[in-house]
Amino acid sequence: MNPLSALRRLAVAALFATTALLSAPVLAEQGAYEAPLPAGINTDAELCIHVPCGEVVPGADSFSPRKGKPAYVEAYRSEGGQKTLVGYAFLSTDIVDIPAYSGKPVITLIGMDTKGIITGTKILRHSEPILLLGIPESVLTKFIRQYLGKFVGDKIEIGKAREGEAMIGLDAITGATVTVIAQNQVIMRSGVAIARQVGILKVEPKPAIRFAAVNDKLGWDQLVAEGSVRRLTVRPEQLGMPRADQPYIDMYYGFLNTPSVGRSLLGDDGYNSLMSRLKPTDNAIFIVANGTDSFKGSGFVRGGIYDRVQVAQDMDAYTFRDLDYLNLWGLKAAGAPAYKESAIFIIRDPGFSAAYPWNLVFLANKLDRETGHRDFVSFSDEYWVPARYMEGGRPAVIKPDAPWVKVWKARALEIALFSTLLIVVAIVYAKRDALTRRSTRKNKWPVNAFKYTAWIISIGFVGFGLLAQPSITQVLTWFHSLLFKWEWELFLTDPFIFLFWIFIIVTTFVWGRGLFCGWLCPFGSLSELLYKVGKAIGLGRFQFALPMKWHNRLKWVKYAAFFVLLAVSMFSMGLAEKLAEIEPFKTTYLVGLFNRSWPYTLFAASLLGLSIFMERPFCKYLCPLGGALAMPSTFRWFGLRRKQECSSCKACAVGCGSLAIDEHGRIDHRECMHCLDCMVLYTDEHACPPLAQERKRRLKADLPLTPIGKDGYYMPIKKVIPIKPVPVTKA
Amino acid sequence: MNDTAMNPVGEMPDPSRRKFLNTAALAGLAGAGLSVGLSACNKETPPAAPAAPAPAAAPAAAHGNSPHLAPGELDTYYGLWSGGHTGDFRVLGLPSGRELHRVPCFVPDALVGWGITNESKAVMGTKPDGSLRYTVADTHHTHASYKDGNYDGRYAWINDKINSRIARIRLDYFICDKITELPNVQGFHGIFPDKRDPVDPAINYTTRVFCGAEFHIPLPNDGRDLESPEKYRTLFSCVDAETMEVRWQVLIDGNCDLAASSYDGKLAATNQYNTEGGFHYEGMMSAERDSCLFFNIARIEQAVKDGKFTTYGTSKVPVVDGTKAANTDPKTALTAYVSVPKNPHGVNASPDGKYFICAGKLSPTATVIELAKVLEWFDGNLPELDKAIVAEVEIGLGPLHTAFDGRGNAYTTLFLDSQIVKWNVDAAIKFHAGDKAAQYVVDRLDVHYQPGHINASQSETMFADGKWLAVGCKFSKDRFLPVGPLHAETEQLVDISGDKMRLVADHPVRPEPHDFIIFKRELLSPKQVYTLDEFPNATKDMKEAGVFREGKKVTVRITSQAPAFEPREFKLKVGDEVTVILTNLDKVEDLTHGFAIPKYNVNFICNPQETKSVTFKADKPGVFWCYCTHFCHALHLEMRSRMIVEA
Repeated sequence: MNPLSALRRLAVAALFATTALLSAPVLAEQGAYEAPLPAGINTDAELCIHVPCGEVVPGADSFSPRKGKPAYVEAYRSEGGQKTLVGYAFLSTDIVDIPAYSGKPVITLIGMDTKGIITGTKILRHSEPILLLGIPESVLTKFIRQYLGKFVGDKIEIGKAREGEAMIGLDAITGATVTVIAQNQVIMRSGVAIARQVGILKVEPKPAIRFAAVNDKLGWDQLVAEGSVRRLTVRPEQLGMPRADQPYIDMYYGFLNTPSVGRSLLGDDGYNSLMSRLKPTDNAIFIVANGTDSFKGSGFVRGGIYDRVQVAQDMDAYTFRDLDYLNLWGLKAAGAPAYKESAIFIIRDPGFSAAYPWNLVFLANKLDRETGHRDFVSFSDEYWVPARYMEGGRPAVIKPDAPWVKVWKARALEIALFSTLLIVVAIVYAKRDALTRRSTRKNKWPVNAFKYTAWIISIGFVGFGLLAQPSITQVLTWFHSLLFKWEWELFLTDPFIFLFWIFIIVTTFVWGRGLFCGWLCPFGSLSELLYKVGKAIGLGRFQFALPMKWHNRLKWVKYAAFFVLLAVSMFSMGLAEKLAEIEPFKTTYLVGLFNRSWPYTLFAASLLGLSIFMERPFCKYLCPLGGALAMPSTFRWFGLRRKQECSSCKACAVGCGSLAIDEHGRIDHRECMHCLDCMVLYTDEHACPPLAQERKRRLKADLPLTPIGKDGYYMPIKKVIPIKPVPVTKA
Repeated sequence: MNDTAMNPVGEMPDPSRRKFLNTAALAGLAGAGLSVGLSACNKETPPAAPAAPAPAAAPAAAHGNSPHLAPGELDTYYGLWSGGHTGDFRVLGLPSGRELHRVPCFVPDALVGWGITNESKAVMGTKPDGSLRYTVADTHHTHASYKDGNYDGRYAWINDKINSRIARIRLDYFICDKITELPNVQGFHGIFPDKRDPVDPAINYTTRVFCGAEFHIPLPNDGRDLESPEKYRTLFSCVDAETMEVRWQVLIDGNCDLAASSYDGKLAATNQYNTEGGFHYEGMMSAERDSCLFFNIARIEQAVKDGKFTTYGTSKVPVVDGTKAANTDPKTALTAYVSVPKNPHGVNASPDGKYFICAGKLSPTATVIELAKVLEWFDGNLPELDKAIVAEVEIGLGPLHTAFDGRGNAYTTLFLDSQIVKWNVDAAIKFHAGDKAAQYVVDRLDVHYQPGHINASQSETMFADGKWLAVGCKFSKDRFLPVGPLHAETEQLVDISGDKMRLVADHPVRPEPHDFIIFKRELLSPKQVYTLDEFPNATKDMKEAGVFREGKKVTVRITSQAPAFEPREFKLKVGDEVTVILTNLDKVEDLTHGFAIPKYNVNFICNPQETKSVTFKADKPGVFWCYCTHFCHALHLEMRSRMIVEA
């Protein structure tokens, strides 16, 4: 923080504070800033006569004296003379000594139930100048309220949850990151310490690393290759900043206690000197960095805590104080890169074991381009001492599956069923000729039996069951992923959408978007099913289609919708997501028609209601997803068939529910829903005018009716063996 | 007489300037008598060469090191500097030349409260009334403790020439923790730690510090022999590195100037410029040759053990007899007087452990003494002690001090020539042995102006690395913006990594540093904060703060934690004898607090986790705002405690 601006802020705030003090002394007293604490709070066995333990363990009415080491109290509820243990209360300063920004701890009372769920947090006293001035104290209160209901054994960190890692993210306080990082450690470490002590968390202390007798001198490249030195790079675009040639931070780091690594990097003298400064349980790492920013920053200057880097292992995060910092005088390993910033940090907590994997975590602010808000984000990289340096190699570690793997495992059956559905639909469509030939204009059941089945499964199983309704927001996300960072994990966490999109992309390029839109889109299926049902129950006379003139104008709206969303998303993903409510999908499937506020419900219900009278109004005119898929459909590999007469004959066009056939008989594959009606007609010798004409001619001429070929015509009569190809056009 | 023909390699000084120096500067400095001393130099020999180009304008060579650091970049060397008659000890970062710290030791310091706090007074020494015994000092030489021929980062020592005191600086906290006054000497000048024990091979580190005294005085100096200068004597002293008590002293002929110690621990030496025992300068420079006096440490300590010593006055320190008359038999001699031309200044040990080099000052020569031969003499195997001189070569006018690059070259300051001469020791030995083709002078460099001490990175260890050379120039004249008649000194930095010396920076220093050492930053592990337990009088919890009264004796225990003192006010009565004990409970690195009491002339600082105290008489009634003087916090200005003195 700029000291001048800090002073200025201080002055202004002091003015306000004084005014507030004079006018409303009562209000001022309510704050926890340097609040006077009862004399016996730290020592008295009866902690709860001094502090409101009941507030943090709701329902408890009596409390034990302080017990255990570190100290906590048991909270009881009395019912019918019977005392039941309902939880624990503990004072942060009894357990941890973690100073916050001010260099003094935020004294916090914490409550936890018997399952390790945090039931209450209360700040008794803090000395954070930033919360006295500038940022209201309520923000801190709000921050710690986020812990309610959270399990102390979970990995809870400040910032957005990282994809692919089992952690719970908390919203930080802008401008008070040191305070919240410290406070997160205070609450989590205290909770874990007590949970371990009372047996909620079973932890065996990790055995310390035992080094094998390896003593190589390695060059930099070898160290990097074997993983003794690792790299963590953050690019400016990952923080919402414009792309640049230079990374935001580009860190090499490694574990220095390993004799070969330490000696290679520091030289023998440097290694011996460092080890002589470490206690047996201390562990040292080094970081060297380039890039436009710094991993030290200046946040450590006041409170003494480095707020940009930490080491995480399992549930524990280890931050570094200024006293845990040593100068790194240089890297002796041959080929070491030049760097502009360096450090040796010492992890002094004996709970850390270098025998097990750990993560270097870099914490940064991400700028939200839309709001200008800064979010706390973290980037991490896993480090594990190579097996050859450990006596007996690396210990066995059971790692929890990545969240996406968990999902895939948990929903394996549904995934199999869903995949089967997709494959069957694709096969059925690939074999459509067999079905269309069996169908006639009067009897389309060979096609429709499959299609309607697909619709019903799509509506019931895919839509309402799996909530797997593809949406334009996914397309927008892809665009952003392609532009910024493609993360498979992000897409893999929803297996159905993931598989659906593979299907959509493949079929769109093979046959056009109609297969998805016309056969499998849950909303589209529902929409057209309503239309069909409407017809079946006699509402056909009220059913209508827009005149081609208007259709041809309105069909562009969906493209416009798509491009508007795409453009908006470039500036604000949040706004684009709001605008994507043009899709009634969320209302229909994901949330439910009756669970949303009325404008959404009305919108979705209107579209569905209209669907009874008009075929797929949303799909035809509004669906931005359809618009997005329509464009690549231009390049589909296999289109539907046409014959020459189609250019003048209007038979198919009249029957085309999608209004996809123009006055020249051309099928617009961007609009076609693959209902296959025209393909049924194509081989229907009674309904297709050129075929019917030929049929009548042959009947009159008493010529045999040969089978209909792939080209949609009767096969030529083979009496005359043609020397050269018979011009089929004038058969 | 040794062959002292000039070695005409390199750029010889401009004869016109030499003439000027001879006729003007020297005359002004030393009077007519000096020209006798300079007569050894063959003035006709050097052919006139054009003056060396101004080094400041010399184009930066493509090779070599840069002294310029980027913001945030750290220096690669520590420099420990004496402060001269400011009486302090300074810490510089090199090559940048930035001054990082001044460690008060002999004289009071208002910033840290040295001489104000009870703790510092106890180190400095007080009169029976509690006031400081001395408040002036003149520091010249500082050297650090050794282990295995390199610095081990434990201690540095520094002398006070005015009051003959030696101070020890702890290099973990960079504070002075002990001061010892040497008995029965004046003009304590040279100082050097030993590098290992002469007898016990397990003691491969510094356990002694040798101290040479320049001025002859009556023994004991209690009013006797005031008008009999011929009876005045000087002593060579040995101080225990740990206890800081004087172990023993040696009565010698002549005087002591600078000191040196051998890497094998067996020998210490001091150069003698006043073997004559003169008490006016003419008398002190009358002899053509003075000496480099060697001490056989093992024999001296054996003599002390055997009770062969005397004591002077109230001092209990054993004094052995190192005079020539008492040490005629080499096999039992405690001392050996090797002759060196005319008023030598400086004796320096070469990093290979083989030689001590004395510079002639009033003779244009450097004398190379082979230590193995001195030991041979002590064993009775060298018939003539001066055979230990393996080279005595002319290098230029007014040679003073010598540094080394670890590649066989020596760098000697030429005070009168205002130059540094780089010369090769082996070539000088060959030249001296008769090989007149041996060109021992390698390079010369003008410095600005009139260099005194010189030292190179790691030069006083077995690990001289030949990177940087610093030169303490005694006159800066026109090198910096003028600030009135008093000028800064110029510490010049020279890149010696190449064949030619390259002057790369001028650093002004407040007068007037003398000697200094330069060593790699890796050799120190300074502590970041104190620990509470180091202070028996610490107030470990702010709840224990408060006023504790026993009659008129009042103890005020105060803790500081930004931005508040505890207690925030305390009451005294006029006439109370007050001791304020301040403990800084802040644990954050660099979070130092100050504590000033207006009108009571109190100010001192308290570093993180440190405890300090002051004692004073509450003799003025009223309200006195004690406040934090060392910027600590956004609420620094608000950080106060009210001292209320009731009438």
